[in-house]
Amino acid sequence: MDIVFEEFYQSVPKYSQEVCGDNVEIIKKNDKTIIVLSDGLGSGIKANILSTLTSKIASGLLEKELPLKEILSTILAALPVCEVRGIAYATLAFMVIDHNKDAKLVEIDTPAAFLYRNGKIEKLNYKEYVLEGKNIRESSFHFHKNDKLFLVSDGVIHAGLGGLLSFGLGWDGTAEQITRVINYNDFDLKEIIEKLVKIFMAFYEDKPGDDFTIIGMRYREKRKLTLWSGPPLKKQDDSRIVKKLIKSDGKKVISGGTTAHIAARELDRELKTSLKYEDKSVPPISEMEGIDLLTEGLLTLNKVLDKLETYKPGQIIIKKEDGASKLLKLLLESDKITFLVGRAVNESHQSLNLPLELGIRSQIISLIATHLKKLKKEIYIEWY
Amino acid sequence: MTKKILEICIGTPCYLMGASELIEYYNNLESRIKDKIELRTSHCLEDKCEKGPVIKFDDKLYFDVTPERLSKIIRKKTQ
Ligand code: FES
Repeated sequence: MDIVFEEFYQSVPKYSQEVCGDNVEIIKKNDKTIIVLSDGLGSGIKANILSTLTSKIASGLLEKELPLKEILSTILAALPVCEVRGIAYATLAFMVIDHNKDAKLVEIDTPAAFLYRNGKIEKLNYKEYVLEGKNIRESSFHFHKNDKLFLVSDGVIHAGLGGLLSFGLGWDGTAEQITRVINYNDFDLKEIIEKLVKIFMAFYEDKPGDDFTIIGMRYREKRKLTLWSGPPLKKQDDSRIVKKLIKSDGKKVISGGTTAHIAARELDRELKTSLKYEDKSVPPISEMEGIDLLTEGLLTLNKVLDKLETYKPGQIIIKKEDGASKLLKLLLESDKITFLVGRAVNESHQSLNLPLELGIRSQIISLIATHLKKLKKEIYIEWY
Repeated sequence: MTKKILEICIGTPCYLMGASELIEYYNNLESRIKDKIELRTSHCLEDKCEKGPVIKFDDKLYFDVTPERLSKIIRKKTQ
């Protein structure tokens, strides 16, 4: 069975702060995934800069595939240290997991990871040592197919401190909450993270006393999606593409009004246009039996491209109901994506002097595909 | 009384030319008038895209429609 490693995180800034002092970097390579979490001392912009710096240095070194000791010494030497207090300005946790599911996790001044296995949370086995005056916890382990692993910043462990709980949630308390949420909903990691964030917020009575972050990871089955956009050059290909789309495994998407009309005609199904539009810059979506999402073409695809350009791996996007947000969500949730792209010039667009950056369908789709490839999705494009 | 049908084209060209403002205009209509109209959307009305936004009201096509024009068209016909 085809499986894929997936990771999601959410960071919440301390109450009344604009930015979060925690930072997450996730790098997807062909044969491995690198996950880095750093928590900057204090909060606000200064903490944010420190944690960003720390996590970027770490992820950069990890990407270079040097021996772990060397990486660690370099990171520790490079970590900014507070002159007055003599402590590192930022904590660090990083994990590298390869395609054999072998993982290595290193933690410096950060809460121990939570491993969910066989229905309960366990602590990993660590090797502890001192390097450059720092206590290092290191664990090498094999990630099982049904495992889930969570990394948190200490803002999670301290949730409730001084308010609902005198000593905060603690590691065990956090483990309990994670178990509870997973046992309730085991299938959607994104929702597990969102739910946990809500719970931690509740412990803080919605006014977090510290920045906090939680990252979740697991393996899941690959998801497929086929998207058709644009009428083909040859009219006789209409029915071929429609068949291909309908027979494909996984989610089916049509992007384009004219394209949707062809599909409706070929399949003899009703095309229901909707009246709702959620975001003025994105035309409303339509509906057809058997198709998971039907959007307008050019404007929507351009919007998706915009959003992809600023997307950070692992980020949970805010739920929105407009066509572009829905399409982006489906693309991000899929691992194997096939684009069926028709290249016929859309008569209706000819009349418009479209601004150059709105561009041609084929170009926009190629750009979208490039971004998705960077997220290590398997992409296939067929031109018609 | 049967409702009059207002069809607004939301094809890409028409949308770019301002169809969303027409939908918004409809949504904000006072209910006295709104109740007499049924809104539908379509993807392309008779391929007159270069003259968008295109609408069809009470079986008649209108081109280059702005919210002001739409208001006049609707009011004249729903008197
Ligand atoms: S897109 Fe509106 S008439 Fe063609």
